[in-house]
Amino acid sequence: MAMPKSDKPLRVGVVKFASCDGCQLGFLDLGPALLDIGLRFSIVEFGEASSRRAPDGPFDVLFVEGSISTDDQLRHLRHLRDRASLLVTIGACATSGGIQALRAWAGNDRGIAGFIAAVYATPEYVDTLATATPVADHVQVDAELRGCPIDTGQLVELLTATAIGRRPQLPSDAVCVECKRAGTVCVMVSRGEPCLGPIISSGCGALCPGMARGCYGCFGPRESANGGSLADWYRGSLGLSDERVAARFAGFTAWAPELREVIDAAGGPPGMRRAASTAASADADVDGGVA
Amino acid sequence: MTTRAWLPRQGLDRLIALLQEDGRRVIGPTVRDSAIVYGEIASGADLPNGIHDEQAPGRYRISSSSGDDPAAKAFDYASSPSSWKSWTFPPTVPMARATREGDRLTYDDVRHDAPRLAFLGVRACDLAALAIHDEVLAGGPYIDEDYADRRGKAFIVAVECGVPSSTCFCVSMGTGPEVRSGFDIALTELPDGYVLRAGSEAGRKVADRLSLAEAGSLQTYAAAGVTVAARAVMAEQLGVTTEGLKDRLMAQLESDGWDEIAETCLACTSCTMVCPTCFCSDVKLTTDLLGTTSQSERRWASCFTLDFARVAHGNFRPRVRDRYRQWLTHKFSTWVDQFGTFGCVGCGRCITWCPVGIDVRKSLLRVAPLRPALQRSEKPVPVSANPGHYSLGTIAESWPETKNVYTLRLTDLPESVCNGLPGQFLMLDLPGFSAVPISISRYRDGEIFLTIRTEGASTYAITSLPPGSQVGLRGPVGQGWPIEEAFGRDVVIVAGGIGLPPLRPLIDRILANRGHFGSVRLFYGARTPADLVYTEELKGWAARDDIVVGVTVDRAKVGTWSGAVGVVTHLFDREPIDGSHTTAYVCGPEKMMSATSNSLAGRGILPERIFLSMERHMECGIGLCGHCQMGRYFVCKDGPVFSRRDLGESLDLEGM
Repeated sequence: MAMPKSDKPLRVGVVKFASCDGCQLGFLDLGPALLDIGLRFSIVEFGEASSRRAPDGPFDVLFVEGSISTDDQLRHLRHLRDRASLLVTIGACATSGGIQALRAWAGNDRGIAGFIAAVYATPEYVDTLATATPVADHVQVDAELRGCPIDTGQLVELLTATAIGRRPQLPSDAVCVECKRAGTVCVMVSRGEPCLGPIISSGCGALCPGMARGCYGCFGPRESANGGSLADWYRGSLGLSDERVAARFAGFTAWAPELREVIDAAGGPPGMRRAASTAASADADVDGGVA
Repeated sequence: MTTRAWLPRQGLDRLIALLQEDGRRVIGPTVRDSAIVYGEIASGADLPNGIHDEQAPGRYRISSSSGDDPAAKAFDYASSPSSWKSWTFPPTVPMARATREGDRLTYDDVRHDAPRLAFLGVRACDLAALAIHDEVLAGGPYIDEDYADRRGKAFIVAVECGVPSSTCFCVSMGTGPEVRSGFDIALTELPDGYVLRAGSEAGRKVADRLSLAEAGSLQTYAAAGVTVAARAVMAEQLGVTTEGLKDRLMAQLESDGWDEIAETCLACTSCTMVCPTCFCSDVKLTTDLLGTTSQSERRWASCFTLDFARVAHGNFRPRVRDRYRQWLTHKFSTWVDQFGTFGCVGCGRCITWCPVGIDVRKSLLRVAPLRPALQRSEKPVPVSANPGHYSLGTIAESWPETKNVYTLRLTDLPESVCNGLPGQFLMLDLPGFSAVPISISRYRDGEIFLTIRTEGASTYAITSLPPGSQVGLRGPVGQGWPIEEAFGRDVVIVAGGIGLPPLRPLIDRILANRGHFGSVRLFYGARTPADLVYTEELKGWAARDDIVVGVTVDRAKVGTWSGAVGVVTHLFDREPIDGSHTTAYVCGPEKMMSATSNSLAGRGILPERIFLSMERHMECGIGLCGHCQMGRYFVCKDGPVFSRRDLGESLDLEGM
């Protein structure tokens, strides 16, 4: 990441595209650290928090939540990129496409039309792309904070590093590292619980395994993620069917290439591989898949 | 106290209570999260009475025998998910707090005193692991003080193993199953009690206070049978043939087996985290938003992560096969060179807790065996420098050498820093940034010079400091240029780019003692004329009649350079070298050093008289954190200067 260095407070913006706003709440969850932020940063645009707006910046640092799911969003994103020195994506939607990226498996325009018809009473007013894609597919991204939602500790680290002009220390290792440091017993080895932890980036503090549940991958794949080997273990040693393998991988970061590959090899997300002509059945299966 | 005493079953509570009366927390096996883990024990009731474990590659389950069996044993399991290192070498340990006010720096030690603990239920394999950590972390000239403190205060109650799992292979590694040494008290569990023996003065004192009767001959006989049974179980299982293993393994650095294993390996680090001997660590910094204080913490790290071997311009082990090879060859080969034992005790945890069941025994079978070892360096070890212990220096002056290389002149230094050797380096620190290894580029009258290329945030920040600013220093550390190897001989010094600064103190010293050497020649190459450092000084040297200076650049714009163009080895042809009477010192990019040393060897210089200075990722600078490993060496401690012979083929292998 480039290093803005100045004694003037940095101009920060926080914006969103297709997303639930939960990651933006990460800023508001900072508590006392928010006061220090005020000394180093000037938050000029943050629609979730303030009605005082500067939607066109310019920004020293722009935080972007959400994935790109309409043409309008794409145009707006490109406009904002031109107005920002550093662009940081926050959360699973912005970094991997989010849960809504599953729509891509509807396969074609008729498929997405089927989804829309099932949800909206007057589908003709809805203008959407057939995909929901990560920000980095469209513009240059300088840093990303993963997770659904993001981790406030990582947010503080990124802000601190930006303020003093060094590279943020963001992990590229597996959730396993956090489990082991915390003394959490491996849920996959000790209980046969399918867990994505070995191929998923750490940063969450191993929340799910700490609650005796397998990781479902909201921080997205880490470097060298070997999804194929893990899926083979699911099938061969844990006895999962292809459908259950795909369901475990098809979560909040399903569209990340390392996970997508496994999902496709296993026949697609449950329900969707059957052409998704009836959205109702797809909904039911997807729901079961990511729980 | 007799050599073998009898502790009745209910007496275990008395032993636990005695240890607690001595102010110790007792850590022992207990059931949590569907596993037998080590945790604090209030009394025998907290132990896994009647609980067994079943282990296989990638699989662990516990089961319970008959509900209220009064004879149910408390230690009827093989091993736990994590090892005792969680207590002797905890996952995170606070180290230091640094504060920066204006241009003043303060370092505060924030380590805690170690708690007084008693470990109950330590197996023979884990005793061997503790002995290995004693050697690695507290056996050399530098010690991990936190470890030594924790270890020194721990009281150890060993319990003989009678029920090894399918992943156990302590018999192969020669560490068990019998408890032999390294304990205060050892117990052998029988259905109605324990045969107890003391292994230290502290253990004898505790045993005396229990006032026990001597164990009967039947009890002693039954106790001996426990490990005999364990040994028999392991004899039927897959083991490891250790004979010649160290050399067999190093002969297979390019085996296809590494690629095969990497197809399955997730590089998740689990094997290294559960391993009782893996000791690699990171320093994690937490900086406040204002950048004035910076807190450092030592954390477990792993050679399986991408960042582990990262340096400013890349990564030495990008592929998973490189990382697995690093781990396995360290455990079973280079560890022997470094510490005199294998780095594996055969506890089997890496097999059971691998999420995809990779079996280290099978990996060793797949990737089979080659070459003799070399001794640990006998060179004198320089000034002490523990992590977290910084001294200070003040920047008197700084100036640019090229567009991205700066030289700093440091004053107000401790004497130890000024008495370093040519080729040694410092860990240079500015709170809020990672410490960076920087070679000393000149020693002069209580001052040192550091020549730094700005590659990352740390070097950028340090070179931007105004005169008068303080910086934190650890060192000088590492093995410098062995100048005595050139006494009475011709000297060839070859530098590439930013490789000249580490060589300059050597040149200074040779010129100051010129009569001790034959001819002295310096060959220096850089990418472009603008990348040459010390240009004025080079002219000064070239004007002398007791040193020959050759300078070349890879490319230059027409009209900007009247000197030689081409790689540095081309300069050798102009100055015939008598290899049999020459000692060479080389520093530059790794590929340049490889080509240069091959060219010099081709002119008859023996590999043991060609010295190179290597670069690796360094966190601690004193051989404790593990990042800088290159084959059998810790580059920081055993190097950075090595002879071409000692580096062997690892210089030319990708991914080491």
